Amino acid sequence: MAIGEGAAGSIVPQSVQKRVKRISLIVVALLVAVFVTVPVYVMVAIALQSPTAVFAGGDVNLLIKEFTLRNFRVLFDDTNTVRYFTNSLIVTASSTLLSTSLAVAAGYGLTRFEFTGKTIAARAVLFAYMFSPIVLAIPLYVIFFSLDLLNSYFALTMALTAISAPFTIWLMWQYFQTVPISLEESAWVRGASRTRTLWDVVLPVARPGYISAAIFSFAVAWNDFTMARVVMSQDEMYTITVGASLFLDRVSIGWGETMAVSLLICIPPFIIAVFLQNYLLQGFNVGGLE
Amino acid sequence: MARPIHFDNVRKEFQAAGTVHVAVDDLTLTIPEGSFTTLVGPSGCGKTTTLRMIAGLETPTSGRLAFGDEDVTEQTPQERNCAMVFQSIALYPHMTVRENIGYGLKVQGVPKDERNRRIDDAGETLQITEQLEKMPAELSGGQQQRVALGSAFVQDPDVLLLDEPMSDLDAKLKAELRVEVQRLHQELDATVVYVTHDQTEAMTMSDQVILLNEGRLEQFAPPGELFDDPVSAYVAEFIGTPSTNLLPATVERREDALVLASDGFDVPAPESEFADRVGDAVTVGIRPQYLSPNGGTVEVVVTAEVVEQLGTEFVVHGYTPSGHAIDAVSTTFGSVQSGDELRVGFDPADAFVFDADGQTICHGDELTGETVSRAD
Amino acid sequence: MSTTTALKSTLDRFDERRLLLLVAFVPFVAFFTLVWAIPIAYALGMSLFANPTGTATFVGLQNYIEILTAPDFSLFLWNSVLYAVSTTVASLLVGLALALVVNQQIRGGNVLRTMMIFPYLLPTLVVIFIWQFLFDPNLGVINQWLLEYGIVEKPIAFFSTIEWAMPAVAITSVWKFGSFAFFILLARLQAIDPNLYERARVEGASTWQAFRDITVPHLRGAILIILLVRGIWMFNKFDIIFLATRGGPLDATTTLPIRVYELAFNEVNFGGATALAGIMFFLLAGVAVVYFKVFEPEKEVAN
Repeated sequence: MAIGEGAAGSIVPQSVQKRVKRISLIVVALLVAVFVTVPVYVMVAIALQSPTAVFAGGDVNLLIKEFTLRNFRVLFDDTNTVRYFTNSLIVTASSTLLSTSLAVAAGYGLTRFEFTGKTIAARAVLFAYMFSPIVLAIPLYVIFFSLDLLNSYFALTMALTAISAPFTIWLMWQYFQTVPISLEESAWVRGASRTRTLWDVVLPVARPGYISAAIFSFAVAWNDFTMARVVMSQDEMYTITVGASLFLDRVSIGWGETMAVSLLICIPPFIIAVFLQNYLLQGFNVGGLE
Repeated sequence: MARPIHFDNVRKEFQAAGTVHVAVDDLTLTIPEGSFTTLVGPSGCGKTTTLRMIAGLETPTSGRLAFGDEDVTEQTPQERNCAMVFQSIALYPHMTVRENIGYGLKVQGVPKDERNRRIDDAGETLQITEQLEKMPAELSGGQQQRVALGSAFVQDPDVLLLDEPMSDLDAKLKAELRVEVQRLHQELDATVVYVTHDQTEAMTMSDQVILLNEGRLEQFAPPGELFDDPVSAYVAEFIGTPSTNLLPATVERREDALVLASDGFDVPAPESEFADRVGDAVTVGIRPQYLSPNGGTVEVVVTAEVVEQLGTEFVVHGYTPSGHAIDAVSTTFGSVQSGDELRVGFDPADAFVFDADGQTICHGDELTGETVSRAD
Repeated sequence: MSTTTALKSTLDRFDERRLLLLVAFVPFVAFFTLVWAIPIAYALGMSLFANPTGTATFVGLQNYIEILTAPDFSLFLWNSVLYAVSTTVASLLVGLALALVVNQQIRGGNVLRTMMIFPYLLPTLVVIFIWQFLFDPNLGVINQWLLEYGIVEKPIAFFSTIEWAMPAVAITSVWKFGSFAFFILLARLQAIDPNLYERARVEGASTWQAFRDITVPHLRGAILIILLVRGIWMFNKFDIIFLATRGGPLDATTTLPIRVYELAFNEVNFGGATALAGIMFFLLAGVAVVYFKVFEPEKEVAN
């Protein structure tokens, strides 16, 4: 690391000043690291130990003495966790698929075809993104209710896609701006039909974009509480978010099980984080929005 | 098989925010089969649009386009047997070089073995055999352009189109690839249409040059003719480096002779052309290469401002007595300093005369004779 | 190079293009109409009726007036603004500090950057669980430390105490959402040409001056966007507050979104709920107009 290399405000003449600065930076970094990771660690520690071990006269969460899956067993035996988890997986997968496909199709069309009102379309998409989900949820509830669609996977999938689609469409719209049309033209001139070109050229080149879009819509759907809470009122249709949120109200469910279900909920996102890290960060860099 | 390209009153208009922009204005010409023709002109003159219409990527607003006897105006790009090399090179980033080159063949259903044979062949012709298994991102600019050329070559097209393929390359690469392109032209039995804004490329590579001016055909002729027989001041100024000097003059009658009276010098003018133009404003064009200390009978006084040395030649950028910019090129200007006053001369046979609209009245030998006929 | 081709073209030739056009636009338009346009119009319509889901009686703007003149409305609005502003500003400061640190490229900077993704990834519910545990009066670590170091005499039930509920919710929110500001600012910082700093150094500027004259101007746009966009986002937040406190205790953390939910599902007053939603909608529209005028974000895709 050289002085002044890509660093904000690091023009430092004296080495002493440099060292003080270096140390204070490390301290800040450590503090943040602690702040960020300790809560996560707490969750893991409590999930994997029996409640008696953790709570015996005070708090001993720092050291995991013995692993136990006891909490998980309680979850699976006494609650509908498995059912909730399955529901979440189903609506999340559906919503991700729908949102991403919509985004790719719309993003491509919006970029490639010329039409008046592009500015309005862009603003509409952005406006939808700035919306509060609860504001949309109310009328959706009434509409689903009158169509007798409440407590259905379909309704929740549509609601979730409604929330994630504005951003995924915006993402793909921006992304396709960076795919030069000459790539497609090159294929057309060589005899490939437009459809074939989409398959052979456009989609492969757009891959980083639609993977980011898929990750985002996955996160929105998996994480969602508002829409699921509004659309689902029957226990067996609850998603894991809604179902688990009711745990703490039940006397028989303690912190051990709560942290255990938290751990379960974290698994799919973490799998994504591990394998698709780069795509995640690319999603953050798109536009000034997230 | 090479075919001629016929443009018949081809017109292309674009709509942009309520106004209509005419990119190509009633273009009628025939590009001879098998020739190497360059479309040249400044940005916005319509050359790329014209090329894209040949490819089928744009459709003419009116007029017909034909390859030989076949009317292709309505044909999609997929149906025409054209190959195109794009300005942005346009290599598919997710395919290897081999797959890139072979893509067109794959689409056409050529079996794998034959495909590979032809790809290897193209690779050898363009000297990229070692790059065949790599990804485009691993190649240098020059290598990428060779891959693009290879992709076009392997299609064995009737018409080969190149859209400013050298504009992103450095001078050395340009020179190398110019040779490659010309070699390809010889090996392929195709009509080559090459678009560039660099008139040096146009002059050195082509059989014919099409110079466009804001969508209209200005001149269509072999390079030498554009240089020596320009039909307008536009052509004279665009072709040649440094640009032709254009100096204002007036047709005057002095005693018994007609002259074009300009900035401190007079050019004798023939009666046949100028008798009825007495009093008109005209422009005298003279190429810097034809201005030298022993240049000729018409003498011009130049005050030098900047002197550049290019190899063995010197370019003097200076001013005429009344402040008009003028350039002169010669091997003998080595000792000229800024501020020096030079006397250079030119031979009227080397001069062009343009009327007030920029059209050529006469030039060269015709300064004593007939009007020049425009290229078709 | 252009990325668009003209839509208006000869009919015969471009059947495939027309087909693609349909495939690209029809789902998009259909979806947006079904799931956005119609519900919003429906909601705005509903807001003009008393008891719209039952015996609907047209009352014009009566619902709006009732909501706006209700005694707690100013409290709810204040809560919303307080929450939005405090979380956004805190996120901004934390994110900025961190981004500056990571940009220094000290050892472990990359690890820090990766770690900052974690909070975003964790589902909101999980975040709530963890923080409810941390803040818990009997078992929570935070209270333990407070007691141990003598800062308080009795443990504080953060989420259940009127004075502390909002701060607790805000801290939890910053933990989860703060990484946005961090990533955006980091990206902007890394995009600053290092030659600028070298030149400043050659011209004699100090660290502080370089920061003030090079770094800050580059970040200004990003900071404004963060304040505006994240501000709205936090203003609209429902789930994290609901899950933490359900709006309590005693409306201490009831923001407008929470109130909308309560009106609709606790009081079954859909007229009122949609009216309040309508008010939020118009507030949002007002901010959106400002956002579009100042930043012109649509220019990135449409000229």
